[in-house]
Amino acid sequence: MDLDFSPVIESWRFLLGGLELTLALAALTVVCSLLVGGAVGLGRCYGPVWLRVPLVFYIDSMRSVPVLVVLVWSYFALPIVTGVTLPPFWAALVALSLQISAFVAEIVRAGVNSVRPGQTRAALALGMSQAQAIREVVLPQAIVRMLPAFGSIISITIKDTAIAAVIAVPEYMNRSQTLAGQSFRPIEVFLVAMVVYFIILFPTTRIVDMVYVRLAHLGRS
Amino acid sequence: MNFDWSVVWTHAGELLQGTEITVFLAVVTMMIAIPGGIVLALLRLSGSRILSGASASFTELFRNLPLILVIYAAYYIMPLTLNIALSPIATGLVALSLNVSAYNGETFRAGIASIRKGQGDAALALGMSRWQAMREVVLPQAVRRVLPVLASTWVSLFKDTSLVSVIAVGELAYTAMRIRSQTFRVLEMLTAMAAIYWALGYPQAKLVDWLNRKYGINE
Repeated sequence: MDLDFSPVIESWRFLLGGLELTLALAALTVVCSLLVGGAVGLGRCYGPVWLRVPLVFYIDSMRSVPVLVVLVWSYFALPIVTGVTLPPFWAALVALSLQISAFVAEIVRAGVNSVRPGQTRAALALGMSQAQAIREVVLPQAIVRMLPAFGSIISITIKDTAIAAVIAVPEYMNRSQTLAGQSFRPIEVFLVAMVVYFIILFPTTRIVDMVYVRLAHLGRS
Repeated sequence: MNFDWSVVWTHAGELLQGTEITVFLAVVTMMIAIPGGIVLALLRLSGSRILSGASASFTELFRNLPLILVIYAAYYIMPLTLNIALSPIATGLVALSLNVSAYNGETFRAGIASIRKGQGDAALALGMSRWQAMREVVLPQAVRRVLPVLASTWVSLFKDTSLVSVIAVGELAYTAMRIRSQTFRVLEMLTAMAAIYWALGYPQAKLVDWLNRKYGINE
């Protein structure tokens, strides 16, 4: 067994471009998911019943359908329904955000519920409005407690972007496949891919956890 | 725009077969990954620096790699380096088991660690051996805490089996996409695929919620 990494080294620009796309897709997905998922989570906790029922349905549906299915559906089937063909990158952004938002919404709900109801009641008893109680009392504690879970959302998102290779988004996973096919050196290409993903993913949750240890006291009650 | 949903019914048998393989993959992976996770957790807590280091490295490695990459790597690396030619379905099982074992290892470790140290100490003070204290006192309590987490890992695993379609394992996603490219009924087949996953996964997600309410810890 002799390994020859020269095809990987020669194509480093090609792979680096893929890595940039992976990180860009992950970053955009995280931002979209935090916004959408945050809104969905709060709507589920505090919204009226007619809003809560469809939101719960959306969240549970996304928890039960694989990312791959959502990706493939938004790339191949959505254009047939809407008549708008999204380029692979944007189809992947839509599909991944749809999935990750549901997870964010669940985290938001768990965080909000972890703040004891007595706190909200005390805030209301002090004459605060419902919105004030949420904004001033519940959310500041809840957000700190959600931090570790948001850290894992970032690494889940980066891992899920690799699935976007299936709809030909030229990100790192997809380019590795291309290179493996062209160079006939799949072992070297995929070994390097494993190292690259590990180097990105391993510190991600660690850094968020370290930030959380610093801030954890703010979430105590 | 005209749809022809009859394509779903004419291929119902193949879809059913794909669904069976999906369920099979999930069940067998879990049957490998639960003992695998227990072994990883016990090694991690064994007190031997080498064993716990090896277990921690394994866990961190597979928790921090995209599953789809592990599947490709298993598909290309195993036959060439280890000289074993496995069928795609066995390769898929290996990749899924590596991934889920790592997650289960963490689940079991956290479950055991969540039992206060005093409980194990008390059992030792009563004259139990370390193994007895683990089996009689710590594990029965840990199982209750592990169960909801294990259930949600199961739901993730059930969805993740779709990823082995990339190495041509004939499970539900692969079958649906193959029929799609044969019949050109893209929307119908992809929607049927999503609907089948939904119909199977939705009750499971609800069951997980129920388990969490029943056994979840509220501190």
